[in-house]
Amino acid sequence: MTRAIALTPLLLATFAAAQEMPGMPSATAPSPGVLIPRIQGRVWIFEDSQTLVEESVRLEYGLARDLSISAELPIYQGFFDAPRPQDGDIGFGDMDLLLELRILREDLNAIDTVRASLFAGAELPTASGGFAEPTLNPCFGGVFSSITGRHGFDVSGRFTLNTGEGMTAPIFLTDLGDDFANLDAGYAYRIHPEAYGEERVAAWYLTVELNSVWTTGGNHEMLLSPGLLVEAPTYAIELGVGIPLSMEVDPAPEVEFAFLAGLRLLF
Amino acid sequence: MHRIHVIAASLCVALSASCGSTPRATSSPAAVAGPNTLTDGRYTLVVHGMSCPKCISNVELQLTRISGITHPVVDMKNGFVRVEVSGGTSPSKDAIANAIADSGFTLVEIRGGVE
Repeated sequence: MTRAIALTPLLLATFAAAQEMPGMPSATAPSPGVLIPRIQGRVWIFEDSQTLVEESVRLEYGLARDLSISAELPIYQGFFDAPRPQDGDIGFGDMDLLLELRILREDLNAIDTVRASLFAGAELPTASGGFAEPTLNPCFGGVFSSITGRHGFDVSGRFTLNTGEGMTAPIFLTDLGDDFANLDAGYAYRIHPEAYGEERVAAWYLTVELNSVWTTGGNHEMLLSPGLLVEAPTYAIELGVGIPLSMEVDPAPEVEFAFLAGLRLLF
Repeated sequence: MHRIHVIAASLCVALSASCGSTPRATSSPAAVAGPNTLTDGRYTLVVHGMSCPKCISNVELQLTRISGITHPVVDMKNGFVRVEVSGGTSPSKDAIANAIADSGFTLVEIRGGVE
């Protein structure tokens, strides 16, 4: 299963147009016929210096004006203690397949906008190598995004129905076998340019996210994720870290720190 | 598996309801001020919601798919897209409004000339 909390929050994102937080969904969508690939790398440092390296590839495609489809496949390399993947073992996580429908677009002036989307899909059972439980898990959720001048706000929620039994040696909270919810909130502040001119310049944003995962079994994980986002007309670069605020994840190992780097392209 | 059915049914209802409604600020060509067809010349499109540099590529990509429109240039400061119409193809206001909406933004007005 796709490790939800820490991962999805820090990984997902998409505004075919506007600011996208590095680690959570945004109410954005590609234009019809437009493909947006995104590559993100992440390093997870767990307790006892156990490490997980993650690379994920996401493709998002605009099907219609307010409808898009996306697929994201994570690839892992583990440096855990037994019985979890050791010595650089490589495997896949479950693929995330989502259909997203934009239900609100209110453009208030030249810059300001308010948008909301609903999405639904499933985690497909592509996991291998002991990095996740290969199960088909339906999921659905929504996201709200607002941009006012130099300020951007995002709030999202996603519920995943876990059809698996749970792993005996889980890596993430979402591998315990319980249903779970991802709840995320994010804020972006444009530090450059102070005001847009007629020239084409990349925009630089400081971002901060609160990424959380809550399971029906009573476990949870909450991360504070500050970052930097650079958006140019045809690409975006994102950097961030994840700092644990609260964790009840037993028997999964606790995350001590996470580092994120990502690249998005517009075709 | 019963839970899956319940959730799937709820989701279908929610998405069906959503599909029946149109995003509130989608460009309605009838509400856009300006000429119904554009003859050869230069125009300024007033567009709302272009909030980041990636918007530029989206808008330019969609506008250049309209026959007769060339050299779209986005001015994010003012929310303007300056275009040139040539070749006598007379693109319609509807086509331009739809292209802007496909880009994810709202066309408010079409002004003759370049501002």
